[in-house]
Amino acid sequence: MSTSGSSRGEHIVPEFDAEKVEKGLFHQAKEGKITMVLAFDDSEHSFYALEWTLNHFYSPATGGGMGFQLVIVHAKRAMSAANVSGPGTSAEEVLQDAEMDQRKLAAKTVEKARAICSAHSVEAVVEVMEGDAKHVLMEAVAKHHADILILGSHGYNSVQRAFMGSVSDHMAHHAQCSVMIVKRPKPQKGTKKQTHKA
Amino acid sequence: MEEVTATVVIEGAGVGPEVAEATTAEKKGFKVVVAVDDSEISHYALSWAIDYVLANRREDCQLVVLHVQHFVETFMYPVAGHAVYAPTLSIDAVRKAHEENSKRVISRAVDICKSKHVDALTAVAEGDPKDAICEAAEKLHADLLVVGSRGLGMIKRAFLGSVSDYLAHHAKCPVLIVKPPKGSHK
Repeated sequence: MSTSGSSRGEHIVPEFDAEKVEKGLFHQAKEGKITMVLAFDDSEHSFYALEWTLNHFYSPATGGGMGFQLVIVHAKRAMSAANVSGPGTSAEEVLQDAEMDQRKLAAKTVEKARAICSAHSVEAVVEVMEGDAKHVLMEAVAKHHADILILGSHGYNSVQRAFMGSVSDHMAHHAQCSVMIVKRPKPQKGTKKQTHKA
Repeated sequence: MEEVTATVVIEGAGVGPEVAEATTAEKKGFKVVVAVDDSEISHYALSWAIDYVLANRREDCQLVVLHVQHFVETFMYPVAGHAVYAPTLSIDAVRKAHEENSKRVISRAVDICKSKHVDALTAVAEGDPKDAICEAAEKLHADLLVVGSRGLGMIKRAFLGSVSDYLAHHAKCPVLIVKPPKGSHK
C-alpha cells in the first residue's frame, strides 16, 4: 500500500468503484489484527480514554480483545537549551538535569499505563517517543500501520484551542488513519435531585 | 433562524417501529451509531465501522444507522428579498423528494449491513445535521458515534468536513472519524 506524500496534505478524493459500492464491498475485512494506537499523556483525559478503550474493546465481555492490538504511545518533550537556560546557570548541567527529570516523568507515565493494562489483563505495547505530540503521533501511526488512532480530549473551547492548540483537533484533520476521540462525560447539571420518571 | 427539530424515528430494519428497544439500550453491550447521508464516504464509514469496530464481536454490539433528513423550509426567499410562504403543494413535493432520498440512503445502508451479516436498527432525524446527530446520539444512548471525515461537500483541501468537526467537539459521547482510503484507486 503506497502512501502518497502528505507534506501539504492534499487529500485525494477517492473514486469509489460504482459496482463494488452497489454490493457494499468497499474493502475486505482486515486480515490480521486491527491496530489501535492510543495517545497517552499524564492527564485524567488519557486515563479515561485508556480505560474506556480497554472496557469496550479488550474486556472479557467483549471478546477479550481478540483481533485487536493496542499500542500506547507517550510523547516525551524534547529538552533543549532554550528551555532551561537562564541568567547565571550553566546550560550544560541544567540541561542534563532537566533531561533526567523528563525521562523520570516519562517512565512514571509509562508505568501508569502499563499498570492500567495489567489491571485489565491486557498486553499492550507501550512506547515513548520524543518530540511534539502531533509529530510523534503521526510517526507512530505510520510506524505501526495503525488502523485507528485513539485520543482523549481536553474539551477545550474554541478560544482555548486557538491559544493552546489541540492535538485531537490536529489529528482529526491530518491523521492518515481513522481517529477516535474519547471524551470524559461532563457531569450533568441538576441530575442529582431529579427523580427518575418511569 | 432555522428551527432545529430533531425528531427521531427509530425502526428496526424492515420490521417496524421499535422505539423502546433502541432507546433503552440494555439489550446489547456496545451501541454504535453511524451517521449516513448521501455521500459515498458515509457509506464507506459504515462499512469500515462494521469491519473495524464491530469486527469479530458483532453479537455484543448494537449498530444503529442514523440518517438526518434534509429539513424542509416552510418559506423561501425569491430574488427580490421578501420572504414568501411557499405554497403547500411545493412544500409537500419537496418533502416527498427528501423522504424518497432518505429511503434510498437508509436502504443502501441496510444493504451494506445485511451483506456483512449485521442486524442494524435505523433511525431518521430531521433538522440541521450537526445538532440532529448530536441529539439523536444522546437519545439513543450511543456508546460511540461514527462519521465519515467529509460529507457531501467533498472539497479537496478540506481535511475535515464541518459536521464531523462539529461532532468531534460537541458530541457528548466518543466520536470516531473515518478517513477515506489512502491514495487514489488505480
